[in-house]
Amino acid sequence: MVLPVSDTPFARLDRGYFMIEKSMNYIAAAFLFSLMLLACAEVFMRKVFNSPIHGQADLVEIMIPTMGFFGLAYCQRLAGHVRMELLIHKLKGRALWLAEFTSNFATIIIVVIMIYGTWTNFLNAYEIGDTSMDAQIPVWPPKLIITLGFCLLLGRCLIAFCGYIRLIRHPDAEPIGVPISPTVSDIAKSEAEVARDAIRDEDAETRR
Amino acid sequence: MIEPITIGLIGLGMLAVLVVIGMHVAYAGAFVGLIGIVLTIGARRVRDGDIFDVIEKGWSPGLLNAGTVPFSELAHYSLSVLPMFILIGYMAFHARLTQGAFYCMRMWFGHLPGGLAVATVFATAAFAAVSGASTATAAVFSRVAIPEMLRYGYPPGFSAGVVAAGGTLASLIPPSGILVIYAIIVEESVGKLLLAGFIPGIISAVIYAASIMVRVKLNPALGGEKLGDVTWSERISSLGQMWGILFVVAVIMGGVYTGLMTPTESGAIGAFVVFLLALKNGMTKGQFLNGLAESAKTAVMIITIIWGILILVRFLGFSDLPNVIKELILGLDVNRYWILLAILLLYGVLGMFMDAIGMLLLTLPLVQPLIIALGFDPIWFGIIVVKMVEICLITPPIGLNCFVVAGVRPDIPLSSIFKGIWWFFVCDVLTVALFVAFPGIVLWLPNQMLGAN
Repeated sequence: MVLPVSDTPFARLDRGYFMIEKSMNYIAAAFLFSLMLLACAEVFMRKVFNSPIHGQADLVEIMIPTMGFFGLAYCQRLAGHVRMELLIHKLKGRALWLAEFTSNFATIIIVVIMIYGTWTNFLNAYEIGDTSMDAQIPVWPPKLIITLGFCLLLGRCLIAFCGYIRLIRHPDAEPIGVPISPTVSDIAKSEAEVARDAIRDEDAETRR
Repeated sequence: MIEPITIGLIGLGMLAVLVVIGMHVAYAGAFVGLIGIVLTIGARRVRDGDIFDVIEKGWSPGLLNAGTVPFSELAHYSLSVLPMFILIGYMAFHARLTQGAFYCMRMWFGHLPGGLAVATVFATAAFAAVSGASTATAAVFSRVAIPEMLRYGYPPGFSAGVVAAGGTLASLIPPSGILVIYAIIVEESVGKLLLAGFIPGIISAVIYAASIMVRVKLNPALGGEKLGDVTWSERISSLGQMWGILFVVAVIMGGVYTGLMTPTESGAIGAFVVFLLALKNGMTKGQFLNGLAESAKTAVMIITIIWGILILVRFLGFSDLPNVIKELILGLDVNRYWILLAILLLYGVLGMFMDAIGMLLLTLPLVQPLIIALGFDPIWFGIIVVKMVEICLITPPIGLNCFVVAGVRPDIPLSSIFKGIWWFFVCDVLTVALFVAFPGIVLWLPNQMLGAN
């Protein structure tokens, strides 16, 4: 994904924020990789030494929401979430930016409400010292991370909010700070790039 | 006084509008779900009063209720298999498994009519055993198999069609992301669904291959040049190129079948082995980090849409709408297969406009109760639905797999790929009909699962 190269303060803000999102996504990736190592270790310990890792299942369960919310804003910035693009890809110029503005605005509303809802949920867990069923792992840290993930997403949506307003005023300006939804051929192109990276030309020819 | 069912209907209408104007499915689901939860809770508490009384009574409990969803619905062990399967797929890219599978299958099936095309279909089926992503499978095989088919004189549109269709097998053959998502949304056993996908996946591949052979017999120009003869010892030794794939199949199917390992654990071991193979094959640090970041992004996308839709599902439950719709349709005096046909056609149409995950998550909360009430098996229906998703992957106007193949091979025009695909479309329709007529094909293996009732 190539971000716009403009050097306005707004473009710099977008790029700077993206760096934060990117690092958060790497934390999510680290959780994903540790999840794999943890599950392998559990099988090894259980089958070979007959001593399962205590609390492993609880840990795995807690890791899923943690992973899901560390990467939330990054996925949003790269337009990675599922949507129906039928109408969006038919629209152009101001109409397109208005439609995007509307759904982004609705997203802001839901994110703000979810921040409140999940924060309350975190506070409850923190105050009563709620833990997981088996291993008694405290559940407030992942709940806090969910709220933080929503906050990071809110920042991203607010940047997009400004970006769409700018584009509604100047529909032909370079899009800055807004996720651009890939068309089917964009998706095809990026799949092709990954395949090209994975299978080098000399390798593509299987020998007989 | 507002009836919850009215709120449910208005909610569905609003959801449709939001999704069509391009709001992300996850947030559109959460948005409608949240408002709906507030209103339905309020409506149950306020017997006489206007809309503001309803909102006032429902506001605080509604928000708290929705706020618990992300944690309580995501912190489930069965969900953890998804990131593992995604990881296997990304690592498999770099593990040289594609070329190995193609080489081996070509040794075994190259002598048949249309041999290279048949080998491509079986190689995609084999690669599907380490990949749950149809588009990715189509992309790598476009790099590996299409040049070979062209070299031996297969027509470009036909070769591209073989790869695009073969790629769809990844959705069915475990590890399959979409089957896990189905299992989670309808609360069925992930292991059973994974096992259920195996035989139908192989049958789909065999039907593809058979259709290729028949077509080449009828029109030898499709088949290109014949390959040279291969000895049995060459065949046997070519299996050595497949051991990575065979190992992953054994771990995932074996682990799930015997119940000795959870699907997550099987997936994790599979991912670890494929990761080691990729390292051995010279995966760079950059490729590794990229693959990991992309896996995380895909996992986040799926996790997000799951909690978003589950907020919607909670609201639909409060509104009792799924039940009412179910009763309404059950009240129709028609054979249940007509209703099934209507549902499948609905998926065929929706799939033209939507990504598979979005389509399933938006429809299943309403469709699933109906299917069960009609006396169909939910595991079996999962396989049928995924088969429909595969069909959507190769049908215009979206036909994502065809676009992916055209993306890798810009020299083959999209129109000729769509022309090359249409026989495979017929095969898929026949396959679905076969599974509908004989549900036992789908259900036999999962019912053999150890410890299953």
